Amino acid sequence: MKILGISAHYHDAAAALVADGVPVCAVQEERLSRRKNDAAFPLAAIEWCLDSAGVAPESLDAVVFYERPMLKFERILTTALRAFPRSWRMFPKAMKNSLGEKVWVRGIISSHLGVPAKKILFTEHHQSHAAAAFLTAPSRRAAIITTDGVGEWATMTAGLGERTPGGQTSIALLREIRFPHSLGMLYSTFTAYLGFKVNEDEYKVMGLAGYGTPSLVDEVRRTIRRTPDGAFALDLDYFDFHTTAARSYSSRFVELFGPPRNPFEPIDLETENGRRYADIAASVQRVLEEVLVEIARALQRETGASDLCLGGGVALNGVANARILAESGFERVFVPPAPGDAGCAIGAALYADRLYFRNADRDVPDHPFWGPEVSGAELARIAAEDGQQVAECADEVIVDDLMSGRIVGWMDGALEFGPRALGHRSILAAPHDVAMRDRINREIKYREQFRPFAPVVPVEAADRYFELPPGGARLGRFMSGVFPVRPEWRDRLAAITHVDGTARVQTLDRAMAPRLYALLDAYGRRSGVPVLLNTSLNLAGEPIVNRAVEGYSTFLRCGIDVLVAGRTRVVKRGSLLTRAQGAEGGTQMVAAATAPALAMANDS
Amino acid sequence: MQKLLRFGETETDGGRDLLRAAELTRDPLLRRLYLVHAVDEQRHGTLFRSRAAAMLASGTLVRQDPRGETPGAGGHGLDDLDVERESDETMLAFLHVAERSAASRFAVYRNVLRSDPATQSIFDDILHDEMFHMNYTLAQLVRVSPQRHRAKLWRARLTRLWNAYLRVASALAGVIGGALLTVQYFAILPLFALLSKRAAAREGEGWRAVAQRGADSMRSQY
Repeated sequence: MKILGISAHYHDAAAALVADGVPVCAVQEERLSRRKNDAAFPLAAIEWCLDSAGVAPESLDAVVFYERPMLKFERILTTALRAFPRSWRMFPKAMKNSLGEKVWVRGIISSHLGVPAKKILFTEHHQSHAAAAFLTAPSRRAAIITTDGVGEWATMTAGLGERTPGGQTSIALLREIRFPHSLGMLYSTFTAYLGFKVNEDEYKVMGLAGYGTPSLVDEVRRTIRRTPDGAFALDLDYFDFHTTAARSYSSRFVELFGPPRNPFEPIDLETENGRRYADIAASVQRVLEEVLVEIARALQRETGASDLCLGGGVALNGVANARILAESGFERVFVPPAPGDAGCAIGAALYADRLYFRNADRDVPDHPFWGPEVSGAELARIAAEDGQQVAECADEVIVDDLMSGRIVGWMDGALEFGPRALGHRSILAAPHDVAMRDRINREIKYREQFRPFAPVVPVEAADRYFELPPGGARLGRFMSGVFPVRPEWRDRLAAITHVDGTARVQTLDRAMAPRLYALLDAYGRRSGVPVLLNTSLNLAGEPIVNRAVEGYSTFLRCGIDVLVAGRTRVVKRGSLLTRAQGAEGGTQMVAAATAPALAMANDS
Repeated sequence: MQKLLRFGETETDGGRDLLRAAELTRDPLLRRLYLVHAVDEQRHGTLFRSRAAAMLASGTLVRQDPRGETPGAGGHGLDDLDVERESDETMLAFLHVAERSAASRFAVYRNVLRSDPATQSIFDDILHDEMFHMNYTLAQLVRVSPQRHRAKLWRARLTRLWNAYLRVASALAGVIGGALLTVQYFAILPLFALLSKRAAAREGEGWRAVAQRGADSMRSQY
């Protein structure tokens, strides 16, 4: 049985193909279109999934969309009605936005793929999140919490999943919290207030929180009340996201927290304003953690489950995940590699397989590598055309590079599904000196000074360097938890230790990425510490690279020293991106040292 | 300032399209030129944004509520050229025409900004790059399409005109549609709004039980 799952139209569109109960491929549209967080109907992703699996659209048994468009439309319309007459500006925009394409999903799928309408199914948004979290986790019985900005009506659900190998599956979402009361919207509102991009930069708030003290938790708690049943409700006087698309927070919010940060104003933590922003970030982070921990604790008591599966965009908050693991009573916490909307493509397809078609349960491979393979030959061809130094090499040479302080662009095997680079499209570097962190921030990522980098470590060695609670290694499998670096190692792991002494560690299992594991092992033998800095192979504002040619263009535009795709290794001899303007229009290209001007060419 | 931010957004978006073109072309020289061009465009975006930020910081402009200032996602870039599907010839012709048009527009801005030397110097800097972009695109178009480059250029000019018409028509339709929807909002919605608010007042806060629906409900969009 072949089932195609699709998520689209809001952010992070994706497609996934499930064959005989197991995902066979999945990719986010942004990785193919090269437009970050591409929300467009994922035609390229669908085409790639079908092509790579050799499946014709007409042979699909079902196409499953990850939410119910008309139910969502109902929520948008009802929200406009409830905010009448303040919603008069929002209403025309919301209607045009919804009626243009979003409510005609069945027709769009049918016309693009040529599948009959009766084969097109719909899950609810949080059912997709729940399925993505539970059906991909190695757990037979688990409590489930999904939480994000909003789906159709639900913003948070709590439930229980049970599966029997070769038998039936059940996912029972027991209760929900409804829009506009939303932890995701709360966090996004603070994201906007702090001058970051909503639905994209929430992780910057988490990073900034490390620099602040939660001195404003009482103020944050005025915006979100706990209800007697253990849930929460936003005080809507502080918010405007439910009445207008133009802004998230109200004037009263500004009275409470002071003037918002202008997006073009740099955050200088030496200034009073900079510290205020950091304190606000720390405060909202603290309140988010408290609410999540208490809800998780109550669900653990209610279900008696030892496992918890977390889904939805809020599950990308590694600091909160670590606190849930440590304080809620669950022994293991599972977060899929793509807990956000992209992952719903896999979730929707698996949900249909197990709960609509009632197919027997099957274990899902426990890795994130569902995307296109990289080609070393493609890199060799392109780099040779540019006169770069290209060679096939053993990984010991890469270890030499890392030992000598070179920054390595690392492409290996199939592309990761989800927002994290987990070892197949990564930038790797020695993790020991702060100078390395600063160099990567300055020459490659062009980003704020407060942003930390993550480490990758063999799972067997993780406990030596990081204070992992029981179950922490599992949470670190897909870089979903933030844990303290052991104090005695902080000096030797300075490039990956955040200001608060923590790191968003990836604990690498040999079976998941054997080549990277071997590289870590070899690096550990040489340096004494089998830990590498691992950050995504992309520049600011761009999606993680997919093909070798995209890695190569990234390599040319920043300070990466060595690029590896498969067994092909390219060493940068100089930037090709400077020009000598000839009489006929500057078509001569010259090699030179990487021009400082290039540093300005990327978003910071 | 809004103008500078819009310019910055368009340049950055154009840079993204050029980057994609560089990744897609099979011609090594074009790949390198597109990359240089992309880097230029992204640098222009940064220059425009930095200038806008500097004007804000220096108090040249009254501080505005930034909630309305964040540039929206997307932007026109290369006038919505479908980079994935275009040939090198079409791409070069289109780039040449677009750069020529941008250069003349920026020249006007440079000339009227005599009272603001800092902003004027940015336009000067960018105009220098635009000359390079105009020249290389034409030179390369002649190289890859020696027989048909003039026809390609005319086609690119007509395509730009058609796209401009579509943008105007679409904007006009948007205004008319928005006006009609606003009229409907005030004419039809008040009664339903009242009922909806009453219903909302009866709703409690906190957890709600999830309505259990059968598997067959997956056929429904509701």
